[in-house]
Amino acid sequence: MHDLTHTALGQLTLVAIGYAGLVALAALGVTIARLERPPLLDNAVWILELLMAVRVVAGIGTMLKGDRPDELAAHVGYLVASVCVLPIAMQSVADDRGSWSSAVVAVAALAVTVVAVRLQMTL
Amino acid sequence: MAPDEAGAGAGPGRRSGAHQVLLALYALFVLAAGARAAVQLATDAGRAPVAYALSAVAAVTYAAGWVAIRRASVGRTGFASVMLWVELAGVVTVGTLSLLERDWFPDASVWSDYGVGYGFVPAVLPIAGLLWLRAQRRPS
Repeated sequence: MHDLTHTALGQLTLVAIGYAGLVALAALGVTIARLERPPLLDNAVWILELLMAVRVVAGIGTMLKGDRPDELAAHVGYLVASVCVLPIAMQSVADDRGSWSSAVVAVAALAVTVVAVRLQMTL
Repeated sequence: MAPDEAGAGAGPGRRSGAHQVLLALYALFVLAAGARAAVQLATDAGRAPVAYALSAVAAVTYAAGWVAIRRASVGRTGFASVMLWVELAGVVTVGTLSLLERDWFPDASVWSDYGVGYGFVPAVLPIAGLLWLRAQRRPS
């Protein structure tokens, strides 16, 4: 994997990985505590989505400047997935604030963590 | 905040429960396996045709599994009881073959080495599904 601290894009990815991991842990905590999904968790998810959108725009900008990733098709796939997973997950639990809905958020945030790592690996 | 009560605030077909997590995981694996197979078959199908075709089969299985879990969550468990065993058989068969016949797998499929590339989630998923299904069938 490319050195994450070497470029601005790498640093952004590192922040995204760390933050997505935190959101996944928070969602898992809410599930284990069997609490209703707090609005704060929703806000955290949308901040993560914004972060991933910024990462996608930065990634596209880098590609347009001629810096093509080693595995272009896979990289583009991960770019798309990185911004699609959270809205789909949130939509699926939109009318449910039960504790299991937080588990869905945990799965989605964990998936985004993995996708962000894979984004960097396919550069 | 009040402790969660299963089903609170949700409609009959969308009640809260562990099946939501299973559905999320299955949807994720439809995406992961489907995209992986599509990219591999479109860009370099000749390199590992067996592995890439098996990834496509895995994607279809996960899509069917998603439908099966969704049906089972509203009481129709027949399809799920077949699909989850089919999926488990697929993971075990492909995982074992990938260890015994390395030549058949120049590149990994989703189920290679029992899903090691995905943190063994492909092996755990049908087992979790079967346990959930068993709990579903148990009279309350």
